[in-house]
Amino acid sequence: MNKYLKIFIHRGLIFGGFGPIIIGIIYAILQEKVDGFSLNGIQVLVAIVSIYLLAFVQAGASVFNQIESFSVPKSLFYHLSLLYLTYVACYLINNWIPFNLTVILIFTAIFLTIYFVIWITVFFSVKIVSKKLNAKLQ
Amino acid sequence: MKCEIFIDPNCEERVIVYAKENNLITSEIKRLAEQNLNELIGYRNNEIVKLNFISIDCITVINNKIYALSDNEKYLLKERLYSLEEKMPQSFVKINQSCLANIKKMEKFDTTISGTLKIHFKNGHTDYVSRRQLKTVKERIGI
Repeated sequence: MNKYLKIFIHRGLIFGGFGPIIIGIIYAILQEKVDGFSLNGIQVLVAIVSIYLLAFVQAGASVFNQIESFSVPKSLFYHLSLLYLTYVACYLINNWIPFNLTVILIFTAIFLTIYFVIWITVFFSVKIVSKKLNAKLQ
Repeated sequence: MKCEIFIDPNCEERVIVYAKENNLITSEIKRLAEQNLNELIGYRNNEIVKLNFISIDCITVINNKIYALSDNEKYLLKERLYSLEEKMPQSFVKINQSCLANIKKMEKFDTTISGTLKIHFKNGHTDYVSRRQLKTVKERIGI
């Protein structure tokens, strides 16, 4: 099996279980705070499975950044695309957003904004650490 | 007991002790001296090679086997990574679950797009610093 696919699956299996735990906590909060909040068995099953897959992909997708032969834009493109498609699918399957073009476009804009804000924050904070370490190595 | 140490990079290393009789100190010195504290035994193409710690860039796991990378050569080691971690000198730091890196052989750090640190060694090898080990790496390098 391809080395990177193995890493993808390994990371996915480690972190996949966190998805259903988080959705369980969110549903518990909604149950407490929203009057008349209820789900049927099928909805719960769909939520658990889809959130597991979402967490699995989210964790595994970091492997794209490790593929030596990929350029930075290519890694970023694959990482972003895979996450975006998984998130949209998950939100639509669970009816958290309606199947409506305008809503999906707004969701996309929010997703991209959050993705890049997180990416820029993490990237530059690590870059600062990297600079400090390089200065010490000299 | 008086003790003198002469540092000479070109000398043949040996320990000579003058003592009136064998005692705890002499036997401990003998034990330490015979341990080859600065060397590892590596295997390459049916050859057994003594590897000096300072020549090793990193010790890493490749296909579930442990190798010492030195310049452009890799030598199979028959010790576990955790026991090597205890044995290696201060210049070695664990950078992830499967790599001990020699700080003196690091060329530079780089930032990957995922926000992790990548180390470039002087021999051209690269590896990643895991988030778990980042704090230790920073401390050992001195920031």
